[in-house]
Formats: sequence, structure tokens, C-alpha cells
Amino acid sequence: MRLDELVRTSRLLVCVGSGGVGKTTTAAALGLRAALAGRRVLVLTIDPARRLANSLGLESFGNQEVRIPLGPEAGTGELWAAMLDAPSTLRDVIGRVAKDAATRDAIYANRIFQNIAGSFSGSQEYMATERLHDVYTSGRFDLIVLDTPPVKNALDFLESPGRLSRFLDRQIMKWFLTPYEEEKVFGKRLVLGTSAVVYRLLSHIFGKEFLDELAAFFSLFRDLYDGMRERHEAVGRIFGDRGTTFLVVCAPNEPSVDVATFFVDELQARRLPIGVIIVNQVHQCSREVPDVEALLGARAAALDPATAPMIVARLGAAHRRLRELGALEAGWIARLRAVAPRVPLAEVPRKPGEVHDLAGLLDLHKDLFAESRPLL
Amino acid sequence: MEARGAAALLATRVLFLSGKGGTGKTTVAAAVATLLAAQGRNVLLLELDNQRPSLTGIFGVKPVYQPLTIRQGLSIANVEWTAALDDWIADIVSLPRVVRLITHNRMVALFLEATPGARDLMVLMRVLRVADRYDHVVVDMPASGNAAAMLSVAVTARRLFDAGPIRRCAEELLALYRRPDTALVLVAIPEEMVVTETIETARKAAAELPGLEVPVVLLNRSTPPTLVPAEIALLDALSAEAPDGLAGEVVGAGRWERELELATAASLARLREQLGVPVVALPVLARGEGAARVVAQLAAALARATKGKVNLQGGKL
Repeated sequence: MRLDELVRTSRLLVCVGSGGVGKTTTAAALGLRAALAGRRVLVLTIDPARRLANSLGLESFGNQEVRIPLGPEAGTGELWAAMLDAPSTLRDVIGRVAKDAATRDAIYANRIFQNIAGSFSGSQEYMATERLHDVYTSGRFDLIVLDTPPVKNALDFLESPGRLSRFLDRQIMKWFLTPYEEEKVFGKRLVLGTSAVVYRLLSHIFGKEFLDELAAFFSLFRDLYDGMRERHEAVGRIFGDRGTTFLVVCAPNEPSVDVATFFVDELQARRLPIGVIIVNQVHQCSREVPDVEALLGARAAALDPATAPMIVARLGAAHRRLRELGALEAGWIARLRAVAPRVPLAEVPRKPGEVHDLAGLLDLHKDLFAESRPLL
Repeated sequence: MEARGAAALLATRVLFLSGKGGTGKTTVAAAVATLLAAQGRNVLLLELDNQRPSLTGIFGVKPVYQPLTIRQGLSIANVEWTAALDDWIADIVSLPRVVRLITHNRMVALFLEATPGARDLMVLMRVLRVADRYDHVVVDMPASGNAAAMLSVAVTARRLFDAGPIRRCAEELLALYRRPDTALVLVAIPEEMVVTETIETARKAAAELPGLEVPVVLLNRSTPPTLVPAEIALLDALSAEAPDGLAGEVVGAGRWERELELATAASLARLREQLGVPVVALPVLARGEGAARVVAQLAAALARATKGKVNLQGGKL
């Protein structure tokens, strides 16, 4: 399937891949392309780097969706962008779903919430799931392009619905909260058996005060769990939806191809569809060995006879290095093709400089969307 | 400046190495450890709770929790957090039966998994404990933002706990950060956004991690300036003509090298000016080389840098 068709028909595109391979830039380019085709698009990045803002020509933006101004050629299309900020999203979610203002304020005031709730392990993934559910079901966008953080974290994101369910295991919450609740009722702790020993030891490790506070935190959160679990399960279904496609983004070098291979395997094992493998930053070079002096022609003759041979040799060496690099990269790309022979693979040539505006973004990726050239 | 930076790097006893994804920080960490071992020191190279340890690809052996000696003076390990937790519990509870009761309890496991920061704290405590047994410990940290967050768990823990074992952990870690021979070293590459993120991370670390120094930044994949003015002038004139075909490719190749040189010079200048620390440039290496050879070559380049023999600032080679 061509990328052009994907950006016109998909409802969710998820970009995965290692860091530093232009994943965010690619996500922005896909979003821009879809917007220019008349769709209402949100590019949502979980990667805390400012790359997205930069490539869209903005200084920065945050948790709130920002509309990127497009020219008249966009027609009815809209391009929006947002960078997920886990702590603010968490505050938003609590503000929205807490059963009353008192519960909400109690959570906000909890010392554990203030110190760590926004940054605890996996919180970014939980919050990304919340946010994705929110924007996906809002009906405000025809397409969401999701840019995930590099490597392991991206998989946490795929796992997030399952992990959250485990985390919210009733039994565990009950075990942990029982002494806390009983204390409220009976004024003393009433824990028996193994639990009593373990609880005493945990108190020894963490201190009773901290456990109480943590219990209070969990207790306040308990009312939010059912809703969270439902939404996370819904996102699990969205991932499997026909309108969702995963794009594996990488660069043509060993570590990046390794990570890409890992993602291809993981996605296929989960039966999630991979639309296209996009290889960015490809050095393009023919295999032909040039006669530099002949190519320079009159230019060579005009050069200082003392420096001319050096310059000719240096240009020849530069071209040789580029040829070697091109051949190496072709090898890595071939390896990637062999891993997923049925998935289309697209190469994006490396261009000098970095992208700082929409025109540059479109130009960098124009080959990806070349109508005349199929990707396979 | 360069030699001083490289010397500071090699004098560090506990070295936390981080950098933006894709900068080659694992390879650089392996090179630093390799060089120290070659100089006769006893070195431990650590990955932190990595489910797919990257060091496997470099040394051909999968690192596990217990350090594995690769060669004279060089050991590698992967600090799996569950094992680190067992060790830590054993540290504070002396009865083995009770330790097992705790560490094999599913509720405890899930509780700790759900407790914010517990994993990071346990992993860092293991680094601290194992550090005593080696001359140097080189830690391959997560990518920059996550590394700063991980290290700051000690600050948060001290704020949250007034007493008890966790408070003592936090104090011990903060004392480690303050030691003059402990450092956070960042790896960058000559790309504008990577340099920006490196500067941001260094500033964040300075603000949030009291006493933890960033004594040097490593600029990996640098291209030294070797093009002479006549070559640059010719390239500019040729580019203006925009030739096509093979001639265009040759000009493109020349320009490509020129851009790499300019990007390296600009990155070095920005990092030095903004951070005020030495920046050691490491060369770009042929990418076709196997990982082990790249590590050996980087180690050799680092060794040259300590002797002041790499100078990317001035003129021709």
C-alpha cells in the first residue's frame, strides 16, 4: 500500500523506531501531507525532545494542541500538533474524572502525587494512552499521527493497556488498602498471617508514614481505576482497528536496523499491521567510479597547478567514501527487506541541513509520496 | 583544553555516561572502559536493567547481573532491578528466610513495581555497592532525559523520607554524586538538535543534581576540518553551477564533507561556549567495521586525545 493512500485513509498512524532517525520529522511530514489532502490531522508526540516543534517551524509547544498555519492550498485541511506532557495530562484526567472537587483537591494535595505521580515509571505511557483515547474519540480529527519515544519505551506503550490492568489488580489493591481502611474503621491495624509480616517489613523499609501516604494516594485513585482500565482496553482495540497502521522508521545503520527488526518482529507477533518501513537519511550514490579530472574539465585547467592534483584527489576520495557508505547502507536495507519481505520499504534520501519549516519538511519527504513511483 | 577534558574523563571513578539516542553512547562507554582496562585498571562496564543488553553486540557475550570478566581488567554486567532489589533487601534484613519471604511475595513484587522510583533507586544502589570492588565503573545510562530523571530519584527520595533505609540510600547516593571523582558525561554528535538537547540536559543536571559534575562532553562522529580555502572556493563555484549526473555526485560528495566539517566546528563552538567545559571530539569511523573494532578504534582515539594529539580546532592535518 502506498504511503499516500495510507495518509488519506488511515485514522491512526503510529511511528515507532530508535532515537535520532528522524522519526518525529517523518511523523510531521505524514501529518502535513494528510492535511494538504484536506484532512483534519493531529500530530501527537510523546518524545519530549523539541524536534516536532522545530520541524514545524515553531519555537515550542506543549500539552495543548496548537494549530499550524497552512497556506490556502490546504483547503479544508487542518494540521494540529501537541507534545504530551505526562504530569499535566494526569492533572487533566483527574480533574475530569474525580467524583467531586474534594477528591480532586485531595489528590492534588497528596505529597506523593506532587512529588512523583507525573514521573513514575510508565506514567508517560499511561498518560499517552489516556490522551490518545481522548483525541481519537473526540471526533475532532480525521487522522492522528502518533510519534512514540525510542526503543523500549515505545513497547511499554503497546503494553500499557495490559500492564495497567495488572497494576490495577483488585486483589493487590485490596491487600494494600485493607490495613489502611481498617485503621480508619477500627483505629488500629488488623493484618494477619504472611501479610502481617510482609507489611511490617514494608513499614520497616518505607516507614509507616510513607505507607500511609501511599495508601491514601492509592485509595484516592481507586475511583478512577475502572474508567482508566476501560479506556486502556479501548485503546488496545484501537491499535487492532483496520484504520490503524504502524510505521517502522529507521536509519540505514546497524543499531537502528537492529531496533527496526525488533519492532517488526514484535508488531508481527502481536498481529499489528505494519504499513511501510521508512528508511531515513539514506546516502545516495551511484557505483560508478568517476574520472574527476575529466568531469572538472575546464575548471581543472584553471586551477593552480600546485593544488589541482590535490583537489582532484580529494574530490575523488570524497566520492569513494560516499560510494562505500552507500554500499554499506544498501546492505543494511537489504537485511531489513529480508526480515519483512512483504512489507513495502521506502527510502528517504539524506538532505543537507535540518528542517526548520513546512516547505523543508515537504521537500525532504517528497520522494515518499511521489505519485508516479510505487514504493515496491 | 581537549587533553584536560580527556584526562578528567579517565580520572573519573564512577562515570555515568548518557546522551541523546543515536549518539553511540554505548559504543563510547565500551571504548572508555576498554581504554581504562588497557591502562592496567580494573574496570566494570554496566548496563542498567536493559531487557536487550546492547553490550551483547559488542562483546559477543550477554551481560548478566553478576559481573563477567571479558578480558584482563574488564568486566561487564547488566543490573537487573529484581536482582538488585533482592540484594538490597538482604542488606537491610539479615534473616535469609525473611528475605525470601519478602522477595518471593507476589504482592510485594507488584507493590514495588507500582511504587514510583523504586526500580531506579534499587538499580543505582547496586551501582554504588559494586563500585567499591573496581578502580572504575562506567555506567551506560538511559538516553539523556531519562538518565537525569533516574539520577534525580535520590533527590526525590530524600525529600519524601525523613528516616529509614530509603532515606539512607538517598543520602548515600547524593554523597556519591558529590564526590569529585564521580561524573556525568554526555555524548553528542555534530547535529544541531542533538547539541541543543545536550546543552539542555547538562543544565538540567546542574540544577537538579547537586554536586554531580559534567566535567566534559564528548562529540562523537566528528569530522576534522581539512579542506583548504582553494578547495572550498572550488566547491562553492561548482555547486553554483549545479551539475547533474556523475559530476553532480562528485560535487555533492565534496559538499557533504564540507558540511560535516562545518557542523563539527559549529557544534564544538556551541557546546564550549554554552557549557564552559572541555569538549573532546571523537572521529567518525567507517560504519562497516564490526562493533568490536569500532570500540577499539574509539579507545585509541581517546588515548590520543589525552595526549593532546587530536586537535579539531585548527587547520590542516
